[in-house]
Amino acid sequence: MSTNKILLKFAKKGINLSPEAYERVVNAENPLNFASNLIVKLKSDKFSSKDLVSVSGETVDEILGVKQKAESSNQETLAADVKPAVEKEAPKKEPEVDKTPQKDAPKESEKTGSLESFKKESDKTETYVNKEILEASETIKDTKIKFKRNEQKTNVQYDFKIIQDTSKKSYTSGELENLIAYFKSRYEKLANILSKRPELRNYTKIADIDDSQDSLSLILMVREIRSSKNGHKIVEFEDDTGNISVLFSNKNEELFAEAEKLVRDEVVGVIANKSDDRGFAFGQEIINPGVLRIPEKKMDFGIVFLSDVHIGSLTFLEDAFQRFIDWINCEFGDEEQRRVAEDVKYLIIGGDIVDGIGVYPNQDKELAIKDITEQYNEAARFLGNIRSDIKIIIAPGNHDASRVAEPQPAVPEEYAKALYELDNVEFISNPGVVSLDGINVLIYHGRSFDDLVMAVKEFTYEKSDDIMEEMLQKRHLAPIYGERTPLASELEDYLVIDELPDIFHTGHIHINSYKKFKGIHLINSGTFQTQTEFQKIYNINPTPAEVPIIHKGKYRHFKFL
Amino acid sequence: MDYFDRLEAETNHLYEIANEARSKGLDVETKTEVPLAKDLAERVEGLVGPEGVAQRIKELEKDMDRESVAFEIAAEIADGTFELTGEKAKWNEEQRCDQGLRTALAILTEGVVAAPLEGISDVKIKQNFDGTKYIGVYFAGPIRSAGGTAAALAVLLGDKIRQAINIDEFKPIEDEIERYVEEVELYESEVTNLQYSPTPEEVRFAANHIPVEVSGEQTDQVEVSHRDLERVETNNIRGGALLAMVEGVIQKSKKIKKIANKLGLDWDWLEEYSKPKKSDSSDDGGDSDVALEEPKYIQDIIGGRPILGYPSEKGGFRLRYGRSRNTGLATMGVHPATMALLEFLAVGTQLKIEYPGKGNCVVPVDSIEGPIVKLKNGDVVVIDSVRQAQKLKKDVVEILFLGDMLVAFGEFLRNNQPLYPSGWVEEWWIQLLMRSEKFDKDNTDLDLHALEYDYLPAVEAFRLSKEYDIPLHPKYTYCYNDVTINDLNGLYDLLDASKSTYKPEEGIKLDFSYPKRVLEVIGVPHIVRDGKIIIDKDHSYALLITLSDRLPERKTTIEALNEVSPVKIIDKAPAYIGTRVGRPEKSKERLMRPAPHGLIPIGNFGGSRRLVATAAKKGSIKVEISRRRCTNPECGISSFGALCPKCGHPTEKGKPSMKSIPLASMLKKASDNVKVRRVDEVKGVVGMISESKLPEPLEKGILRAKHEVFTFKDGTIRHDSTDLPLTHFVPKEIGVNVEKLLEMGYEKDCYGNPIESEDQIIELKVQDIVISDNCGDYLLRTAQFIDDELTRYYGMEPFYNVKEKSDMIGHLVAGLAPHTSAGVLGRIVGFTKALGCYAHPYFHSAKRRNCDSDEDAVMLLLDALINFSKTYLPNTRGGSMDAPLVLSSRIDPEEIDDESHNLDIFERFPVEFYEETYTPHKPADVLEYIDNVEMHLGTPEQYEGLMFSHHTSNIHAGPTVCLYKRLPSMREKVEAQISLAESIRAVDQRGVVEKVLSSHFLPDIMGNSRAFSKQKVRCTKCGAKYRRMPLTGKCSCGGNLILSVSKGSVTKYLEISRDLVNRYPVSHYLEQRLEIQEFGINSLFESDKSKQSSLDVFF
Repeated sequence: MSTNKILLKFAKKGINLSPEAYERVVNAENPLNFASNLIVKLKSDKFSSKDLVSVSGETVDEILGVKQKAESSNQETLAADVKPAVEKEAPKKEPEVDKTPQKDAPKESEKTGSLESFKKESDKTETYVNKEILEASETIKDTKIKFKRNEQKTNVQYDFKIIQDTSKKSYTSGELENLIAYFKSRYEKLANILSKRPELRNYTKIADIDDSQDSLSLILMVREIRSSKNGHKIVEFEDDTGNISVLFSNKNEELFAEAEKLVRDEVVGVIANKSDDRGFAFGQEIINPGVLRIPEKKMDFGIVFLSDVHIGSLTFLEDAFQRFIDWINCEFGDEEQRRVAEDVKYLIIGGDIVDGIGVYPNQDKELAIKDITEQYNEAARFLGNIRSDIKIIIAPGNHDASRVAEPQPAVPEEYAKALYELDNVEFISNPGVVSLDGINVLIYHGRSFDDLVMAVKEFTYEKSDDIMEEMLQKRHLAPIYGERTPLASELEDYLVIDELPDIFHTGHIHINSYKKFKGIHLINSGTFQTQTEFQKIYNINPTPAEVPIIHKGKYRHFKFL
Repeated sequence: MDYFDRLEAETNHLYEIANEARSKGLDVETKTEVPLAKDLAERVEGLVGPEGVAQRIKELEKDMDRESVAFEIAAEIADGTFELTGEKAKWNEEQRCDQGLRTALAILTEGVVAAPLEGISDVKIKQNFDGTKYIGVYFAGPIRSAGGTAAALAVLLGDKIRQAINIDEFKPIEDEIERYVEEVELYESEVTNLQYSPTPEEVRFAANHIPVEVSGEQTDQVEVSHRDLERVETNNIRGGALLAMVEGVIQKSKKIKKIANKLGLDWDWLEEYSKPKKSDSSDDGGDSDVALEEPKYIQDIIGGRPILGYPSEKGGFRLRYGRSRNTGLATMGVHPATMALLEFLAVGTQLKIEYPGKGNCVVPVDSIEGPIVKLKNGDVVVIDSVRQAQKLKKDVVEILFLGDMLVAFGEFLRNNQPLYPSGWVEEWWIQLLMRSEKFDKDNTDLDLHALEYDYLPAVEAFRLSKEYDIPLHPKYTYCYNDVTINDLNGLYDLLDASKSTYKPEEGIKLDFSYPKRVLEVIGVPHIVRDGKIIIDKDHSYALLITLSDRLPERKTTIEALNEVSPVKIIDKAPAYIGTRVGRPEKSKERLMRPAPHGLIPIGNFGGSRRLVATAAKKGSIKVEISRRRCTNPECGISSFGALCPKCGHPTEKGKPSMKSIPLASMLKKASDNVKVRRVDEVKGVVGMISESKLPEPLEKGILRAKHEVFTFKDGTIRHDSTDLPLTHFVPKEIGVNVEKLLEMGYEKDCYGNPIESEDQIIELKVQDIVISDNCGDYLLRTAQFIDDELTRYYGMEPFYNVKEKSDMIGHLVAGLAPHTSAGVLGRIVGFTKALGCYAHPYFHSAKRRNCDSDEDAVMLLLDALINFSKTYLPNTRGGSMDAPLVLSSRIDPEEIDDESHNLDIFERFPVEFYEETYTPHKPADVLEYIDNVEMHLGTPEQYEGLMFSHHTSNIHAGPTVCLYKRLPSMREKVEAQISLAESIRAVDQRGVVEKVLSSHFLPDIMGNSRAFSKQKVRCTKCGAKYRRMPLTGKCSCGGNLILSVSKGSVTKYLEISRDLVNRYPVSHYLEQRLEIQEFGINSLFESDKSKQSSLDVFF
């Protein structure tokens, strides 16, 4: 193992190793791996990406949880100790603070005590564990067995189709009329889906409500949502003929729970009773455009999902990503893991393949590569190493060189020329839909998670699968207008989910999630970046270097750290 | 008569006139609505009440300090010891607590700011879950105006009141505590950053220990997740409460604990906040991080606001300690030649500075060093006059040195900024000479004044240094330390080689070669003729003697130089101050938009210009107003005045509603009434914003239009100016003559001589102000309007009888700052052509302003007394801010913001002070060498005998309008900014271009293109706003909708940015960032179809 390579690795990340620390690194079973693990640990929990860090031998021990051992400890034991130490990072289950409010108990006792004693475990976001992922996950471990993937090029036949790609189909010119057309399109598309529901088959327009009707069946877009003094929800709705306010009583628990999930600007069906006041009604039922269970399709290959690789960032996990590349090339992992790799036919990258430039203020201080073209070149260097019989599909995210407003056109060739030159790479818009040998995949980067988490009480970043389920119910990828997700006023609303996919793939929030919902695989593909400064402030704990795979119809989850 | 008595007598006279006018019953009230307050106690009573409290405050003040008085009053009002009278006599305990807290808070905030009225929305007695009672204090957004300490004291007051009425502490439940933790985090992420970001446990700790409930009304539409708590009324963020808790109690914990201790309140738990935090001690790497960070002033650079110096960069402004008669209170002096040369600095322009503090205002001081420039022909010139600067300006290729910045010691003291070493200056040198053992006081050969201020030949300077054993005179000391030892040796070699050309009477001629740069950098004036560098006799003598030999290797250049120099050389410029231009100066009438002449509601009937005459063409119009009704049952007619125009009985107010009013006949009647025919330019308002919606009399609007003056929302006419300080004036410069001065009660000049000429320097009386010329003109027209109003509307005698601006001298005004509610009485003493209002630092402080580019209003006192009415004020939160709810007639330095107490008032720093500046002392450590206002509080010297250390011959020298305001477009401003960056040595041009792009233009482009895709729409007809385009595509009123963010606002900086990127070598990073933005913008604004078809043309 080259000494230089290791030292350089640390130096690049601004880490200074003491001789003892260096000793521990080179004596590890796999010094390179050990080094990258150490860097991740250092950079993600103790120090910011900008700190210049000096690391002593004790620090290494402390960080990796190795008990003080005799200097002579041999390589195996040290390496063996690394594993459990990493797992120790999982939430510490210390005695939990009772969170139930103790209404009548005055807390005189607590008035004493120091500031420190007011620290709480709850200040750190609890790490949510996705059960499905827990069951499906395995760490890729190189067992150094002699395995050779079939190098004989099978003439792989691709049945690859682009179902929806909005690149170069932006017809907006930013005029007022476009804005009118955009929301009309949203309403019409969703009304079209909703009106197939039996309860809504004979829906009325607001302007056509006449006195003889007692019960109303309407298709409406949400304008505003507020709570009444008594805690009921009052939702102001509209259609293309007028407005109506509907009250959803908190007495009706089921209905109220549905109402709590309503967000502004989505389109739903509403069954309501008329009140004396024209323009005001009592809600009885909320009908989402919804999802019908889809039949399972046969699938004899694998699809790998990536997003938020953030190549070019100082916090990009280069080594883990290299291991991923090695694995997909069947050159890493145990035998079974390599066999899975062998079956992989498609790789989808759902946005933020690079960290981009100027995405947020002072980003240049957190970049290893400050040139957007160079970032894509670097990406091409990695992806170019992937065996050529895997088709790679790349969609843009908010960090890519594209417009910020959704739908985002595909990354333009002028920046990503090196990627465009690879024969097996396809570019697509965000959102976009592709058909992979008959399996339809809806790719959406996931900007709207930011809005939905804010708008709906029960949504959290950790459980993005729940939010994806709700997007499908609403049949819209980014219903809320005017908050964090900029929406371009295209003449057609491409963010409406017209056709249900077999797989729904998102990213953006750097936390893996998975759920199968009515036959549809909901996947959030995590990240290859350690915790960023931004995430640190908001207490978001990413799940880096964990890659989801749909292998012959089954979810698998490989960890590369 | 003494000054204050005289002011008081004149004020009383104006009150009589105003009350007589008001007694006619044509206004809402029959008396003036601005109560007079002589001191803090009366101000408090006038602002928040209750009646009679001023008396009690004064009693308590005799043997208590201000804070103790406030807390005592709070307790006395709350527990009923202080008896409330009138309507308030029936008040219950809760209402008394509310009153007590407000009154006490008013005392603590000098009875000036609006916080006691607007910052506290409620004080309630509430119940703990164990059945005991506690106090809840409800804060509102405007608590901000009180500052962190006062906000925290409001909480402390709650505790005092709680004890006074003997109820329990607030016992929060877990959810309530966690609600605070969440709110703080939400506030910082969704609303804005707090000055201090507390950790969750700090918030929890405070929430747990504060013995009163800190709550408040919602300030922002951001919902929390700890919703529907029984005792918390809102589910949204309570901004006021968070400010009180975080920027108040937590951030000011040290100060609050001290006060609590003094008052005998147990807040010892606050001690926790001063304990060093664990995380701080664990890594020492943090410190170096902070040091590396850029100073704040240079972090965001705005297009058109040039950087004048990088942080502490050589060639920027040199630090010089001292105060001139027009500096202090955050105003600093710059040589007027520098201002003229840069053009971006006018009198009153704001600079953002590296230290001390964040910003200042620039004023001309010509007794300090001016700029050194290099001309096209290679000459290096020290510029010492505005005229010379203007003449040379076009030939300047480089500004080698910006000159001095005169900074008062008080600025360091106020900001608690450790001292920087003083520049080597004449006032220090002369004192060293006077202290020399060889110095003989009785020796008449030495003219000390001439030595300090006049021309001194180099030969003489060296002689003095040798004779008295003192360092070389500053004039012949160059900035040697700004170059390396090698550089100086290069210069030595050149001098040595040309020694033969040296003639004692003419100077020296050097070959044109590289060491010329050394001459430029260290600031030796020279000219270039026929390929030769010519240095005059004095400077060549100084150089040849100082650089007697090649320098040895030493740590610093100055150390090495002192090895070879026969006399001691001191570092001429050890500290430079980095600066950039901030807000431009301002002096302009206050206009609402669009500007009305009267508060006459005319709906949309007046067209976009809001013309009353246009609306009157409709005959009758329907608007929302209220009328007053005669209380005489036999009469009962409606009118707008306090007395019935028919029977003279008092009227009572009616309810506002949509009413049809015969505007045409009313306008006709009003114009006949005041005998003004031309009414076609009179402008009104769309609607009244007040609760009562009672309009102003039409006549007032007609008369204002006649004199071309405009009203503000409260019925007053105002003029806004940048605040500038002044302690001494010269009659001639401010346009006042000796006769007038004597008439106004001025007797002696600042040296105690009787006033005889217009060139003497006279100490400004503390409530006299020097207004800008255009303010003078505007107030003149206002005075003429008031005379018309008095004679034609109220049927009284005219008061002002003024014809020209100078007639306004001696008349009374009220100064009023935003966020405050108390006017300060002032008197016009003269005019300045600068765009600012020069007044005594006390006057500005009384308004709670300093002079780092704050601006506020003056109004004619009589105007406020007659025309101001609370009735016109909106009843929304913050509505009573910026209104003259009370007039404070006398300035007592002890009762004003203590910032003015830091004002330096001495003629000279002692030698020890200069020496101490070489150690980075905290300013408080060298107070023994300082004399400032604080040391004279409560004595007659607080008003008289304040001196200054540096004279200035003209307080409005240099440009009066800065270039930023003169250039019409952003393109030109940026061009000028960049060319300035190119010529100033202390500035890196490429850095400026990059900064402008990265901190102004690019964020603007990104922000606006993001905003474009999230924008609201607005109705052109009724003005209604929609968060999102309605599906109908129309406003509910049927009107057309328009975009609120236009294409133009997204692309406005695109072209100029592209241009900058093409012309200057900016980083590739920025270039690409711009490209990507362009791609996004094109994708948003150009249809791919049209791109397609335009391509089709080619194929």
